[in-house]
Amino acid sequence: MPWFDSLFELLFKYPPRTFASGSLRFAPSWVFLAVAAVLLIAVLPGLWRYWGQRAGRARLLVAARALLLLVIVFCLARPMLILRAVVPQESFVGVLIDDSRSMTIADAPDVARGAAALRLLDPEGGDLLGALGQRFKVRLFSFADDLQRVSSPAELRFQGTASHLGEAIERGADELAAVPLAGLVVLTDGADNSGEPLDDSILELKSRGVPIYPIGVGRERFDRDVQVSRVEAPRRVLRGSSLMVEVTLEQTGYAGEVVDLEVMDDGRIVSSEKVRFPATGEAVVARVSFKADQAGARQFQFRTAPQRGEAVAENNKRGALIQVDDRVEKVLYFEGEPRYEVKYMRRAVHGDKNLQLVVLLRTADNRFSRFELDEPGELEGGFPTKREELFRYDGLILGSIEASFFTHDQLRLIAEFVAERGGGFMMIGGRRAFSEGGWSGTPLAEVLPVILSPAWSGGSGEGDPFFAEVSVEPTTWGKSHPALQLASTEDASLQVWERLPKLSTFNPLTQIKPGATSLLVGKGEGLPGEQVVLAYQRYGRGKAMAWSVHDSWHWQMHADIPVEDQTHETLWRQLLRWLVSYVPEPVEVTVGTDIVAPGQRVEVRAEVHDQGFLPVNNANVTATVETPGGQTIAVPLDWTVEKDGEYVGGFAADEEGLYGVRVEAGTRSQSLGESSAWVESAALENELYDAQLRRSSLERLASETGGRYYDADNARGVVDDLAFSREGSTLLERRDLWDMPIVFVVLAALLALEWGLRRRWGMA
Amino acid sequence: MRAPLAYGLIAFAALVTAPRGAGFVSGAPAVLGAPLAHPQDDSAIAARAAADDARIDNREWASILQRQLRAYSSGPIEPNREFYFTRAFYSSGRNDLYRGFPSWSVDWPKADIQFMMGLKRLVTHLDAYDGDNPVSLADPDLLQYPFLYAVEVGYMSLTEPEVTGLRNYLDHGGFLVVDDFWGSREWANFEHEIRRVLPGHPIVEIPLDHPIFHSFYDIKEIVQVPNVGQGRFGGPTWEQDGITPTVRGIFDDDGRLMVAISWNSDLGDAWEWAEDPFYPLRFSTYAYQLGVNLIVYAMSH
Repeated sequence: MPWFDSLFELLFKYPPRTFASGSLRFAPSWVFLAVAAVLLIAVLPGLWRYWGQRAGRARLLVAARALLLLVIVFCLARPMLILRAVVPQESFVGVLIDDSRSMTIADAPDVARGAAALRLLDPEGGDLLGALGQRFKVRLFSFADDLQRVSSPAELRFQGTASHLGEAIERGADELAAVPLAGLVVLTDGADNSGEPLDDSILELKSRGVPIYPIGVGRERFDRDVQVSRVEAPRRVLRGSSLMVEVTLEQTGYAGEVVDLEVMDDGRIVSSEKVRFPATGEAVVARVSFKADQAGARQFQFRTAPQRGEAVAENNKRGALIQVDDRVEKVLYFEGEPRYEVKYMRRAVHGDKNLQLVVLLRTADNRFSRFELDEPGELEGGFPTKREELFRYDGLILGSIEASFFTHDQLRLIAEFVAERGGGFMMIGGRRAFSEGGWSGTPLAEVLPVILSPAWSGGSGEGDPFFAEVSVEPTTWGKSHPALQLASTEDASLQVWERLPKLSTFNPLTQIKPGATSLLVGKGEGLPGEQVVLAYQRYGRGKAMAWSVHDSWHWQMHADIPVEDQTHETLWRQLLRWLVSYVPEPVEVTVGTDIVAPGQRVEVRAEVHDQGFLPVNNANVTATVETPGGQTIAVPLDWTVEKDGEYVGGFAADEEGLYGVRVEAGTRSQSLGESSAWVESAALENELYDAQLRRSSLERLASETGGRYYDADNARGVVDDLAFSREGSTLLERRDLWDMPIVFVVLAALLALEWGLRRRWGMA
Repeated sequence: MRAPLAYGLIAFAALVTAPRGAGFVSGAPAVLGAPLAHPQDDSAIAARAAADDARIDNREWASILQRQLRAYSSGPIEPNREFYFTRAFYSSGRNDLYRGFPSWSVDWPKADIQFMMGLKRLVTHLDAYDGDNPVSLADPDLLQYPFLYAVEVGYMSLTEPEVTGLRNYLDHGGFLVVDDFWGSREWANFEHEIRRVLPGHPIVEIPLDHPIFHSFYDIKEIVQVPNVGQGRFGGPTWEQDGITPTVRGIFDDDGRLMVAISWNSDLGDAWEWAEDPFYPLRFSTYAYQLGVNLIVYAMSH
């Protein structure tokens, strides 16, 4: 409360912070002490007696007079404030000025933050440098992602692409560690996008006893601004996949307005979505779907056009690096009976170059048909019995096949396929699926996302299967799920879902596991409850899905479905692509982050397994890094020891551009596989995001280190505060307090009170 | 079981009420006294049909015929089966009263039912409906049965709604097996009709290495299956000038077989009379094998 400080200073001669940093002492003379002692001994008993004999009004007058005397005694006792003040020109002050791009935002209040900061320092403006220079030796620095010594504020350009506030202040303290340092004055908007918590710097500075005096420039909230705050996109997808990306838009001052959110791929608009802003200050999450058609590392950009009158137009976009893989994912579909579902699922994925649906179809006992094989011997012995045989597939679908068909080892193998290999597993409805296929109590009952109830037994005749028609609709989760988008926008997709014909089920499933998510539900007559049509859960490294209807082919083959309708094809392609998304290969490489600043080190981590997905610790693992300039660097990766099969290494991304990282692993006798990842080295464009003044973090920085926070308006106070900061080269300074204006005010008030009372009571 | 005469009668009645072209307007069908609800009572059908005049005829006609058929055949009374052996119910020309009943119904329903018995014994895990299931080509519900069997197509004379219905069926992914027609004259008629349905799709020989010859049984040669009369008494296996048995096909743009044509051969009779001790095993074996293969193929490709 600045008015309180001013009033306090007016009455008490010094501001409260000066009192806080000093201590109160009395320095009376011997003569005063002797006279005071004699007076006390002589006067007090008489006064006491007088007090006892009188009552009411007289007592009040006595008290007023006594107080008056006390104030005089207080003044004669010579009160003084003992301060530890810096020795002029012996202590140093560091002045750190934020030189990053966010300082170009013109909200201080009508000029750029940088200009406002310079004006504060300038002799013709606030003349802060001049005032500091009278008492201290001033050292000037500029900082953005790094701290620079500057000789004059005129050298600042405000073009830094990052603000490492905490680091800069620590370095400033380092630079002046050898000299008596009174404190650091930091002119900034408080932005810190180093990724390191500011708390670490605060602790460090606190322990070193360096008080920080931040001067905040800018505004804590823009009047009008739109910002793309966050983009939630998958890092890796299969080519041709539909993506559903969540984009968080923040805004102030545009409530109720509608903007276009556009998705750009290499300068080309690939999708657009209308977004209506909620009440001002509220964020909105928009979902935008588009297709990743081009293979490789794609830099997608999500943006809205600059709005009229907005503070920062540069934060209306955000990028995402998405690795679009052009590989073939193999899914094994084991079906226990001839079914049209096989035919139409095959037709649906036909022509999808990135999906291979290998079908093993049991037509009669011990008789199998096999389709879409890589080699004639594939699945020759029926359903795989060995790890390597099953784990070569990325996904596994079990159709209408009874659990008793499998050996216990095979059932365990399927569970391990999900948990250890990280494969995608799906059971689809049928006469021999779920409880009706005797799957309760098997290792797969645990894997499945649904709770298997006892097999249905309510038919009119023995052995009659359960049968009910269901109208399928997406749940809240399902509506926005990427695999269930049947049209270009979410609303259009919902309309398609509403139009789809009814399907039917043999498997009454109404409950999902606690950790599972239900995406589609069905309603219809004869169902024991709301039917779970599609649900999934993570299980170990992989995921498991349950699809409880048995005749989705009706969504292709139905009088209400036009020939050109692609709903069935789209749905199954998306479902299978999602089933195998993030399914690991034997060799998997990850880089810590998809974008680094130039010169930053990139950590390359690889997980290496053999064909049976058992970790390999003695492999030769090398990363071949292709630089943006076209050079290749070989980076050997070493086993981390902490985790089986994990190898780590790194390189510095010095050039700007896209780095390709290909990791190959092998043992002496065989190659284990390879895997690729991408990382972009680019100036991080964080400066203009969340660029409002961060007052609270600056205040905390100040209070925790023993400094003080200032606005531009009261920045001059920093000079006095620094003078009594107790840091640097100091000496003790005494300040008399007897002449505080408050003393006179109190004396006058007491005299006036006494005089007034006497007049009123006629005692004058 | 049922008197064959009844089939003939109902089929004949159906044909009498059948439309010819888009100009057909159905009247109340005076058929065998069965109380038939007028199709317009069915609000769902009426609502859909209102959008398209041509389809009103189509649906009314299909609906009437379907009801007539249901009265005499078992019909798909079990809605939860995976496979229905579905017989194409189509219009024939003036000379359609082949052997006393319309050409679509030759060997029906015994061949269908008999074949299902065999099929279920052979393809043990197939959940097939036991009964017969004739459906009109013009019936939109035809799409619920992706396997379709048509015989005596030499006498086929499709109405426009049937042409549209069959094209729609095949374009959606339905599979048609054509059987029991002989010689160049019947071929010419069939070719003319199927060209109306699928103009521009060539009819080609299906080589013996095609999956329809190997999807369940390995078939190494194409056998001429004679009709029951000639087969049982050892006469010539051919009829008219259809000396050489041939299996031809029409493929879609993605190379998938849409129509399998068994010409100069009569699989249906072999299915129907397989239990007859006088009917040669060689013919019925081949007929069952090819039939099973076609069904397994149709359900997986």
